[in-house]
Amino acid sequence: MNPVIQTRQITKTFGSNGTAVHALRGIDLDVAKGEFLALIGPSGSGKSTLMAILGCLDRPTSGTYALDGEEVQSLSGRELAAIRNRKIGFVFQSYNLLPKASVARNVELPLLYAGVARKERRERALELLDQVGIPEKAAKLPGELSGGQKQRVSIARALAASPALLLADEPTGALDSKTGAEILELFGHLNQQGNTVVLVTHDLGIAAQAQRRVVLSDGLVASKEE
Amino acid sequence: MSRRLFRERMNEAWLEIRENLGRASLQSLGIMLGVASVLGGFSITDSFKKRSEQLYVKMGGLDKLNVQTSPVATEGSPTAMRAANLGLRQQDREDSAELKPGEVQGVSMVRSVRARVRSAQADQERQVLGIGGDHLAMEGYSVAQGRSLSTQDVESAAPVALLGSSAATDFFPNGDALGSILRIGNTPVQIVGVLEERYFVFSKENPRNQFWRRNRIIAVPSSLVQRRLQGDVHSRLDRITYRIPRIDAMPDFISELKSILKPNHRMEEDFRLDDVQSRIRKRNNNGEAYNLIFVLSGVLALLGGGLVNVNIQLASLKERVKEIGVRMALGAPGNEIFKSFMTEALLLTSLGGLVGLGAGVIFSWAITTILGVPLAMAFSSFMWAYLLAVVFGFAFALYPAWRASKLSPMEALHYE
Ligand SMILES: Nc1ncnc2c1ncn2[C@@H]1O[C@H](COP(=O)(O)OP(=O)(O)OP(=O)(O)O)[C@@H](O)[C@H]1O
Ligand SMILES: [Mg+2]
Repeated sequence: MNPVIQTRQITKTFGSNGTAVHALRGIDLDVAKGEFLALIGPSGSGKSTLMAILGCLDRPTSGTYALDGEEVQSLSGRELAAIRNRKIGFVFQSYNLLPKASVARNVELPLLYAGVARKERRERALELLDQVGIPEKAAKLPGELSGGQKQRVSIARALAASPALLLADEPTGALDSKTGAEILELFGHLNQQGNTVVLVTHDLGIAAQAQRRVVLSDGLVASKEE
Repeated sequence: MSRRLFRERMNEAWLEIRENLGRASLQSLGIMLGVASVLGGFSITDSFKKRSEQLYVKMGGLDKLNVQTSPVATEGSPTAMRAANLGLRQQDREDSAELKPGEVQGVSMVRSVRARVRSAQADQERQVLGIGGDHLAMEGYSVAQGRSLSTQDVESAAPVALLGSSAATDFFPNGDALGSILRIGNTPVQIVGVLEERYFVFSKENPRNQFWRRNRIIAVPSSLVQRRLQGDVHSRLDRITYRIPRIDAMPDFISELKSILKPNHRMEEDFRLDDVQSRIRKRNNNGEAYNLIFVLSGVLALLGGGLVNVNIQLASLKERVKEIGVRMALGAPGNEIFKSFMTEALLLTSLGGLVGLGAGVIFSWAITTILGVPLAMAFSSFMWAYLLAVVFGFAFALYPAWRASKLSPMEALHYE
């Protein structure tokens, strides 16, 4: 079976010659279906850059990346948008919810772009909110929720299109430790249901709970621990 | 592209507008003002035109051809032939009697004279109008007391007169004009009728009775002026007027009339033909020029509004960059962002345009009420104003929408 993620010699360089920053310098990474991987490393080591490439938000400068068996490094912007829509669920540190749209509408967004009819979208959103434990917040605005609840909404949104891969860049970074632990528990739970999760964290305690840890350092994989 | 997708986009745009009402109303303000000023401009000219038409109807209609004496404009002293010409005469009227009887719905003659007019209560120098044919009907007069002038009166140069309402009070302040005697020069004439008072105020701006002059009329048979008051053996006339309701019959009539009149005038054109309708039409074209000015000012308002709109959109784009980044991360392709921006703009301009039409109606109503002219609005004005708004709204939305669609998802997402 194809791995969900397979990268070969991925590099990413920002800027040009004089001021060039080599954020990634040749990453080989394989993530199998159903894995829970923690990406750790010091600040500036390239974790977020790698996540953006894995999430098809950005293209690598060189190297190849197969997502769910499909080479994506040379796809057009439109094709990448479709891949982001169907295969990837993002969870951001700062939630990135649309502040003026209701919680349910936020969760529905990926389905809107997938062309799902309105009624089905709403049903699925309510189901997902139930799954992340805040079914009663559907009609609220994001501003009315606590940080942990917001992150639950953003997880529900990431799950909406049943993606092949959940990507979370420091999802607990803005939360207190108790709430952070709850969110992490939710990720663990989702992983047990079969979701593939890649999570960036600074917190070694959190990383310890993942199945596997990959340490980045200065744009390279420093070590892989099983 | 499926209809469902379009409906989805409309829905989304509607939600977007509702979620950002402040920004949305600011954005559509320019459109609203533009539409209101175009519609208002059109309607105000339309209202004045309508008012003019009402005036013309009350004046007895515009479907007239006037023939008047006029000197032949040449250098130097007139030739003997010209000097011997007599101008417009009763003969001219009679010679033209056979002309297109089907088209001519009325003919009137006027021969006026200034004379001393006296009654027991007044003694004034006044214009006395000798009239013949269908003059009263063609000029929109009607008799209030007594009778009109008869054909018999005109044929026999009867010493009778009709007075306009204010002429009647000038000379007979006691209200006993009917049947009294008025002396015109040395000729005593009997008042056989008093005319209905005529009244038309164009607008509050112009509050004078347009017909005040007509109420001063002192009318006698034209033959009376010719024969008794002036002793004119040639029966000269100041004016002959033909009523020709069918406007397309006018050019033929004019050329045939000329060919009849010219031999009577030793082949000199010492008369002038005045097609009233086409003259007024020409004057109304100035109204069209006003319309153009209004359209231009509306276009300027729309242009200004449009530019403000672009600015607001670009400014709001800044605050929306992050949102666009999120949408892109969730799978919205650039062209979907473009379409949703355009749908939103179109919905906004349509709604703003509707509000603008409402504002335009109120605006036109207010102006015409202040000016005291009845409001007239044409359906086409609504269409034009709206069309302009939609076109402008669309055109000015293109650039911000394009900018939004070209954002890179990564940069947009990290925009602070
Ligand atoms: N858009 C960019 N332009 C230029 N340099 C960039 C850009 N994005 C990242 N970098 C640089 O690339 C390197 C890796 O950055 P990245 O954000 O991936 O680090 P990180 O591991 O996520 O750090 P942190 O733990 O602080 O989030 C850094 O040196 C950063 O300055
Ligand atoms: Mg980072």
